[in-house]
Amino acid sequence: MKKRLHWLLMLGLSISGNMITNDILASKYWQFANIRPFYDGLRIQFHQENYMILQISLFLKTSLGLSRLSKRNCLLVLALVIESFVVYADPVATNNTEIEKGRRIYLEGVLSSGTPLQGQRGETEHLEGMAAACETCHRRSGMGSLEGNIVVPPISGRFLFATEENRPIALVDYRAAKNLTRAHAAYTDASLARAIREGINVSDSPLSPLMPRYDLDDADIKAVTAYLKTLSSDLPAGVGEDSLRFATIVTPGVDVKKKDVMIAMMRTAFSQRNNTQQTYSGRMRMPIDLIPRTLRNWQLSVWELQGKPETWGAQLAEKYRQEPVFAVISGVSNTTWAPVHAFCEQEKLPCVMPSIALPPAAADFYSMYYSRGVVLEADVLAKYLRDQGKKTPVRLLQVYQEDEVGLGASQSLIAALRDSGIKVENYVLNSQTGSKLSKQLKSLSKNDAVMFWLQPEELTKAFKAAPKKLAVPAFMSGSLAEENYSVVSKSLKSSMQVVYPYELGEKRKKNLSVLKDWLKSWSLPLVDEAFQSEVFFDLLFLTDMTSQMLDNLYPDYMLERAEDMLSVGSNVSVYPHLSMSRGQRFASKGAYIAGFSKDGSLKANSGWIVPW
Amino acid sequence: MFYGNQVSNLISGRLLIKFILSGILLLSLSVSAEEASKESPDYKQSIGNYVVPDVSVVRLDGEKLSFIKELDDGRPVIMNFIFASCSAICPMLSHVFSKVQDQVVKKGQKFHLVSISIDPENDTPAKLTKYALKFEAGSNWDFYTGTIESSLAIQKAFNVYRGDKMNHSSVILMRAAPGKSWFRLDGFMSPDQIVREYSHLKEL
Repeated sequence: MKKRLHWLLMLGLSISGNMITNDILASKYWQFANIRPFYDGLRIQFHQENYMILQISLFLKTSLGLSRLSKRNCLLVLALVIESFVVYADPVATNNTEIEKGRRIYLEGVLSSGTPLQGQRGETEHLEGMAAACETCHRRSGMGSLEGNIVVPPISGRFLFATEENRPIALVDYRAAKNLTRAHAAYTDASLARAIREGINVSDSPLSPLMPRYDLDDADIKAVTAYLKTLSSDLPAGVGEDSLRFATIVTPGVDVKKKDVMIAMMRTAFSQRNNTQQTYSGRMRMPIDLIPRTLRNWQLSVWELQGKPETWGAQLAEKYRQEPVFAVISGVSNTTWAPVHAFCEQEKLPCVMPSIALPPAAADFYSMYYSRGVVLEADVLAKYLRDQGKKTPVRLLQVYQEDEVGLGASQSLIAALRDSGIKVENYVLNSQTGSKLSKQLKSLSKNDAVMFWLQPEELTKAFKAAPKKLAVPAFMSGSLAEENYSVVSKSLKSSMQVVYPYELGEKRKKNLSVLKDWLKSWSLPLVDEAFQSEVFFDLLFLTDMTSQMLDNLYPDYMLERAEDMLSVGSNVSVYPHLSMSRGQRFASKGAYIAGFSKDGSLKANSGWIVPW
Repeated sequence: MFYGNQVSNLISGRLLIKFILSGILLLSLSVSAEEASKESPDYKQSIGNYVVPDVSVVRLDGEKLSFIKELDDGRPVIMNFIFASCSAICPMLSHVFSKVQDQVVKKGQKFHLVSISIDPENDTPAKLTKYALKFEAGSNWDFYTGTIESSLAIQKAFNVYRGDKMNHSSVILMRAAPGKSWFRLDGFMSPDQIVREYSHLKEL
């Protein structure tokens, strides 16, 4: 009989088909013959109008007694279900508008009437619009955060409306007992409304004085509640029962040695991590390690792109469709990255700190970068030259290749030197370079300077054409040179300086020793120190992030954790400082102007320049 | 070096008197703290003799200045630590400063509100200017950024450095005049409470 009712209900709900999303139909609750979890599962996913139908059925189930339910009663249930559907015409559409209204209140601080959200904090502080939006503190994922000793608790539906037994765990640092999850009874729609309006929690105690009180009308309360119930609820593609899949991306034209070492490093770290995550690895474990689902196996997809950048978007979409991933980690390109950036934004896919020379200028949400690349170098050089006083050059010649990176860098320098009094001239390196460049460089005089925006191959070409000694201050891009300073002759080194976005000297040695030991112990080659340090840091950072996220594997939460965690802990990267925060997307923010010492190594000629 | 200075200060008799005086003062302040605790039990007062580090800072107008000189310009100082992209604590701290500013201006008292960025590489003068505008900062409220090193030196000297900017906590420091002790408030305070503490400050 139980089973019959179950099927009947399924039928009834199927008739009111557009109430049930595909997710729910596919959800595991359908496989239970027992109806109890079936109800529970649906109750969580459905919103007020939707599960009213189930409430009616549930009422029938309890009042009539399941086992004695006759055929007639079953039909009655079905009739009621259908009737409810007729009464609540198209509840999914209603619900979607409601969720959208809630989303605007939560993220943008705009009420359904279109007027700004108003909040009151304490007696004196009136908040309005964006400043009053829930997202400001609870963040986009609704998973909350920790600032100092201020805990901003998670408020997505699966935390608020869950009972003690089924509430997930969220934490930031288990050693410091900084637990985000709070013990409390399950909220109901009514107790949540009271919390939002009056600042009284479900246990009748006042909320933190940091939490504003909101004067929301019933419709807006309903909208926010509906939004919270959908927020960070379904785990994204790429998160399996026992697996967590990541991708890394390689664009065409990348040096094979770099590509190979990156993939080898990632595969090594993944298998090292998976092997130590096995339950019986013999490793001493933190109790937190044993929380189910933190032991997912990491899997790596390598997405190698081909052809022109215009076609990358479609290639990425196809690869993602075939093998969905949770996030893109690292990646390498010596040309544009814009199509990847656009893809990550469109798919809401975290893309964490690839090794690239030219990140897109716009800081969106889903991509994070080590720095602004050559654009940052252009700004640093401009600031350095402007601050030279009497020695500031009158004319600057910049030599670059006519590709995405060369154009991006040279245009940035022109923009950064606007109104500086320094006249910028461009020299585009091409196949006929030789005597022409040589002539240009020889013609430079006392008040001039030259900047080389070139990658290793082109650097060799350019320096072959250069006169033995340059009579003017010369600069080259540190990130583009990829540590290939052997192409700079000894005599050229005396007038050459490098715009260098990485750490130097003893501190660098110390910070990179972990990477070097790791490479040695896994017999991996050292091809490009700065590049490999970026890949290595990504892998360590990923380990830290996922261990803090536990089972809360939501893309937005991952980026928020990254924002908050990046500057915590010891620095094992090639950069002096890495730091992000809410809304920041570029981790390192400056560069040195470095010169060559007698032994050919680089030394800082300036302090760490942050171009404001 | 700073520790060295503090030790030599400790030995001096002048400081001993200061200590006794501040002890008495703390006692008297604790009365007001009790009053205050009705509104907010969450803040703690103390007296500190911090050595202001000799570093340069950049004011929101882009001017590079000596931090010591900025604090020693004759006005009593009320100082906090913020960063522009901080979501929960800083907006509240800055709001409180904004209200303190209005109240102290109304009373006609001299003052200098000082907000130090703990995320200096990101907080450019332009960003701080925008931030200041949002909180309606007037001519007696300055924001300072600079290098990471100078910001760290200041945070460490005033014992507010907690390893990372996400670990920062709500602290307000006040000083009546150069050479006087610093009065420190840890926790969340209402503008009224701060203004009340500020009017007791000259006794320090």
